[in-house]
Amino acid sequence: MSVTREQVLKIAELAELEVDEETLPALAEQMSRILDYVAQLSGVVASDGARPFIPGPDALRFRPDEVKPIPLALDVSALAPAFKEGFFLVPKLGQFGEE
Amino acid sequence: MSDPSEALAIAKAAADRIVNAKRLNACLTPPKDLRASLVRQAQAAHPSGVLYGMPVAVKDNICTLEFTTTCGSKILGGYHSPYEATAVAKLKAAGALIAGKANCDEFGMGSSTEHSAYGRTLHPSDRHRVPGGSSGGSAALVAAGAVPAALGSETGGSVRQPASFCGVVGIKPTYGRVSRWGLVAFGSSLDQIGVVGRSVHDAARVLSVISGRDPKDSTCEDRDPLRLPTVPESLQGFVIGIPKEYFPPDLDPGVRRACDRAIRLLKELGAAVRDVSLPHTPYAVPTYYIVAPAEASSNLARYDGARYGPRFDGGEDVRALYRHTRGEGFGAEVRRRILVGTYVLSSGYYDAYYRKAQQVRALIAQDFRHVFDRGVDLVFTPTTPTPAFKAGEKTDDPVAMYLSDIFTVTANLAGLPALSLPIGRIKGLPIGGQFIGQAFLEDEMLEAAYALERVVPAGDEV
Repeated sequence: MSVTREQVLKIAELAELEVDEETLPALAEQMSRILDYVAQLSGVVASDGARPFIPGPDALRFRPDEVKPIPLALDVSALAPAFKEGFFLVPKLGQFGEE
Repeated sequence: MSDPSEALAIAKAAADRIVNAKRLNACLTPPKDLRASLVRQAQAAHPSGVLYGMPVAVKDNICTLEFTTTCGSKILGGYHSPYEATAVAKLKAAGALIAGKANCDEFGMGSSTEHSAYGRTLHPSDRHRVPGGSSGGSAALVAAGAVPAALGSETGGSVRQPASFCGVVGIKPTYGRVSRWGLVAFGSSLDQIGVVGRSVHDAARVLSVISGRDPKDSTCEDRDPLRLPTVPESLQGFVIGIPKEYFPPDLDPGVRRACDRAIRLLKELGAAVRDVSLPHTPYAVPTYYIVAPAEASSNLARYDGARYGPRFDGGEDVRALYRHTRGEGFGAEVRRRILVGTYVLSSGYYDAYYRKAQQVRALIAQDFRHVFDRGVDLVFTPTTPTPAFKAGEKTDDPVAMYLSDIFTVTANLAGLPALSLPIGRIKGLPIGGQFIGQAFLEDEMLEAAYALERVVPAGDEV
């Protein structure tokens, strides 16, 4: 399958990822190649009703529903790019389109 | 050893060895910081610990308090984690010294350690070749003799493949054997912390220490730490399966010769060797390259320049901030995988790709169950189809790069333990052989590896 330049831009928008014009043709070509390669799975006979495989414990152990602070060596304010009076600072929200 | 002055001397010697291996670009920690930290750690280490004074390098996607954790990415440049991984805390409690952060492919995405924002790591015995990846820094440091062991992580073979390329031992434990608290997430249904060691024993000792329950990670099994087996006199009673799908006609002839010799030695050790089939093996790489990018696209959504890590400004609103930070901060391979992952999860494509991949993953796990249910204890295969390839050889062809994981991804998809050990050389380049075991039966896998390691002339040409 061939991924178009427009599809890459749409996917990049969904992924909140800036993609520059220069790399777009190569990216579309590489994505097409990867998706062509993985599409071979369509030929594998697999039952729709089969239980999906999930590795790990058969039953996840739930922790008690208690709020316990995790001791941190650094305060979040020291990690944040911009922080003031208990809040992370970011630019205004702006416009979110229909998706 | 329980003498603090001896631990201090070992710490200083380890720092010297790591600094001397600088040309490999395997360690991301600046020499001055490394020396100072190792001395501090040696002074504070627990003399009664089973790893007292043992320097262990840690892949840069595992959180440490001593050093930055960048995941080989610009988007976490200079990041100091406010907590440490359980595996690291267990190592320190056992008296080990955290010997710097090992270079890796960005967020563990790669098979050559060429996709690090901090430059590629060189193969220890041929600078024009890659050490494998993504834990290439860990494997190169061990192979260069800078440290006896290092932590790595696996999502699709990222410990075993570089261990094979560099001529050292790499272990990927069963999914759930080792806590992932503090391992930066890439593909959560696949990720495991693993160990690279100069010998089976060194790697196994470290694995034993970091294994076991952790209330902080609900995917970590409620089990005691792994108990180390003794070195067996023979492999009498072991049944080892040889899956035909791992020996295709185009397998590198040197790799085939080395495996044939190892299989002969397993027989001489008393193991019963049987031909088996894992028929869905050819679909493992395409399955992996749907599941892993899908999970990565979700896990990496958290890097947006708002709460931690560098911020790359350049827009007037928060969405522009996210996009610009992520566009600038992630490298080409990570961007590619995020886009593929977002694509296969998007409306209209989910059933054709992600759902199908989950079904095939179940078939791959079922193949192994069938083999083990028929009395086979372990499977033996080559770790990689070729020895270490040349730097730059596969960087422009992502699918060719992905295919270097063809023999390792199955164990990750099925959640099984696996181990690579050196079994010979071709033109000076190491070749690895792989055991894949049954879930939580790492002790059997280690027994077989101990026995084979003792008799295989791993340094000889085949």
